[in-house]
Amino acid sequence: MQAIVVNGKRLETDADPSTPLLWVLRDHLGLTGAKFGCGVGQCGACTVQIDGAAVRSCLAPLSAVGEGQVKTIEGLSADCSHPLQKAWIELNVAQCGYCQAGMLMAAEALLKAKPDPTDADIDAMVSNICRCGTYVRVRAGIHRAAAEIRKTRGA
Amino acid sequence: MNAISIDRRRFFVSVAAVGGALVVGVQPRNAAAGALASGIAPWLSIASDDTVTVFVATPEIGNGVLTQCAMLVAEELGCAWSHIHAEPATPTFNYLNGELYTKAMGRLGFFAGRSTTPARMTTLLQVGASARERLRAAAAQRWQVPVSEIEARDSLLRHKSSGRTLRYGEVAEQAAKVSMAEEPALKPQSQWSLLGKSRPGKLGAAKVVDGSAVYGMDVRLPGMLYAALRQAPVHGGRLKSYDFEAIRQMPGVHSVVVVDPSEPRTNIKVPAPLPDLTQAASGVAVVAEHYWQARQALDALPVAWEAGPGADWATHEKISAAALAVCEAPAKEVLSKGDALGRLGQAGAKTVSAAYLTPFCDHVTMEPLNGTALVTPERTDLWHPSQNPQQAFAIAVEESGVHPSNVHVHQTLVGGGFGRRVHCDDVRMVVAVARKVPGRPVHVIWSREESMRQGRYRPLVATKMTASLGEDGLPDAFLARYSGVGASTTGLVTCAYANGPIPNFRVEGQTVPAHIRTGPYRGPNYNAHAFMVESFIDECAAAAGADPLDYRLKLLARFDDPAWTKCLKVVAEKSGWGGRLPRGQGRGVAISNWSATAPGQPKEGTTVAAVARVEVSRAGELKVRQIDMAFDCGQVIDRDGVLAQLEGGAVFGLNMSLNEMLTIRDGQVVEGNYNEYPMLRMGDLPDIRIHFDALSGNDRYSEVGEPPVGPIGPAIANAIFAATGKRIRQTPFRLQDLSWA
Repeated sequence: MQAIVVNGKRLETDADPSTPLLWVLRDHLGLTGAKFGCGVGQCGACTVQIDGAAVRSCLAPLSAVGEGQVKTIEGLSADCSHPLQKAWIELNVAQCGYCQAGMLMAAEALLKAKPDPTDADIDAMVSNICRCGTYVRVRAGIHRAAAEIRKTRGA
Repeated sequence: MNAISIDRRRFFVSVAAVGGALVVGVQPRNAAAGALASGIAPWLSIASDDTVTVFVATPEIGNGVLTQCAMLVAEELGCAWSHIHAEPATPTFNYLNGELYTKAMGRLGFFAGRSTTPARMTTLLQVGASARERLRAAAAQRWQVPVSEIEARDSLLRHKSSGRTLRYGEVAEQAAKVSMAEEPALKPQSQWSLLGKSRPGKLGAAKVVDGSAVYGMDVRLPGMLYAALRQAPVHGGRLKSYDFEAIRQMPGVHSVVVVDPSEPRTNIKVPAPLPDLTQAASGVAVVAEHYWQARQALDALPVAWEAGPGADWATHEKISAAALAVCEAPAKEVLSKGDALGRLGQAGAKTVSAAYLTPFCDHVTMEPLNGTALVTPERTDLWHPSQNPQQAFAIAVEESGVHPSNVHVHQTLVGGGFGRRVHCDDVRMVVAVARKVPGRPVHVIWSREESMRQGRYRPLVATKMTASLGEDGLPDAFLARYSGVGASTTGLVTCAYANGPIPNFRVEGQTVPAHIRTGPYRGPNYNAHAFMVESFIDECAAAAGADPLDYRLKLLARFDDPAWTKCLKVVAEKSGWGGRLPRGQGRGVAISNWSATAPGQPKEGTTVAAVARVEVSRAGELKVRQIDMAFDCGQVIDRDGVLAQLEGGAVFGLNMSLNEMLTIRDGQVVEGNYNEYPMLRMGDLPDIRIHFDALSGNDRYSEVGEPPVGPIGPAIANAIFAATGKRIRQTPFRLQDLSWA
């Protein structure tokens, strides 16, 4: 058995240490928010955070997580109150929605590093694929959430 | 508003009280006697806690169909938006109750592709109005006041003079007992407060952003096993041998299952939207406790395949060459107006001729193919992200051999469709695997590589066009010969130019029998032929020495739908058409139309005009800077939903034209993942600008998902020509030599 910390909770798993974190989360821990899209770190649907950094969980073996704090879409807020979640709902960002958990986790990591991101910052750090083509609204959602976070902080 | 009023000779509104809720359904009348068929298909229920449930046969694939259906009900019902939600209507219920849903909505009633089916729109408006009037009548009885004094709004019934209120839920049960001599007429469109305005908020949005939305991939059942699937890498090939002993001891491995298409299937048939049910592919699956274990074991499993006849079509170059060769010779006539052959044979006229080619492309839905089934001798349950649940039902019945009354399709959310999940070959494979593990739910997952190499691809299309230009420079005769794998006439026969603008118009075609499997892909065949025809029209304009926009305006003045001209004028103005650009930049224009009901006819379907502005470096690097689109679908119900579809359609059209191509080696699809099949990402996008100004207001609400995919590619190709003088006749553009001096 190995324990990892996910969304602030210590969880035990009997998954083999070589199992990618994505499948540990989805099949062993019942957290299906992070999605399987490609398995090769290309599409970003599986994006979670480890210690605040966006990570493509399909490539990260369980053994590499160690004591790192894993955060998934289920841990973004308890009640859809995160400014990114609110912006996503207000702007009707999602179409099929399958890639959006990964988009959101990449976006949140970006906003922590760059509270006032430029378009180029967004392009660089949110390189996830969306086949529905929601990119225009993803970008708008990030800018809207960034503005709200800055306002709340009185910046 | 004649276009949307319910056909009262064919349908009858029925109500019932079920567990304190008012349930409103629609009964079709039997054609002959006018008598009612048995059973009620519920369309709407209002529970005692005010919850409004709309039952929708069409799955949500991201196009917002559930939201639109709820909007239609809410417009007439006057319920609070926060109280409304949608649930799937099931194909099993439909089967057991005399096809009550498909009788109301037609053969494709369960098909996710069209969100604006007129029959569904009218029915939803009617059940909303019928429920509202019964609620008002019930409140009037309760208060002993005239119905006319009661207002129904925001899920509240209000007696205007006394100020008394009742919640909808408080009188729902009583409302089910109200009998009405006649169902209420629908509101005139001028009184709509929701429809045609911006969306009140997409249903299910919160579940998407908190990760609780359940797609096919997220189905979790007690005792569930996982299967990793591999099918014959040469389509149509067969499994020759495998060695289970090599993986038997690997962690979590349960069994290996073989799918053999030659095994006998049941003869139980149920009505299916697409009567030609897709066949099983020869394949092998490793079943294990967890997916990763199944995947690892499958990768380690020694497997040998027989290629079959597909080996004869070893490469995409061979297939493309065969398709282009077919286009050089006369083939079967599929459309002939006037005397195109005679005209083209005349000496002296200026002639333009060119052959175009588009490749196989995969849908690459973000959610890889997958599904879960539990099969026992008595019952089959399928949890599936289908685009066509009734098709899924028919296939699950046939593949499991269980009586249809005991086959249950549980529709999940769908992580992208674009046509890939219409024919339900994935359902066939899921059930084929699960029935070999009876009594255990099995979640069958295609890896991305398996999804990409076992696609039902966008057809490979080759088309040669020849036109002769009249005195005025416009084409007076046009001949198109198409070929390819899975190629069809859509976009040629259904082209507006065939209906007036070009008097002598002929289409011939013959496909190539290569083994690569094809299927519908967002705007089937239209997505290829729009590129070809609109590029070719540009070639004609260039030959005539005309501006491409003016040329199209002249040509389309002969088509009986002024909205086409309007689309062109709007998009020209908004894009700054004609304005000076630096060297290496250019603008291109294209216009096309997709209609599911009356393709190629004036005032039908959705017309989209696009202008692209591109920049091409001397070395040939292409950047698309700006896309402007103007469109006419008649009218819109869900304005923001329409905008989202056009934005997404533009991105889809961009990716298809710039990037997408599958190649074939040894009869197998080479590309398996996104590192080999590049996709546009956020930083690659041009400025995309959608303009609503060309909407005609014509009495139709045509679909907008497929149409925008058409004009993007040709607008870019025509812009490349304007920038460089190079005519690009193949996609993807990333593989063409665009360098210039």
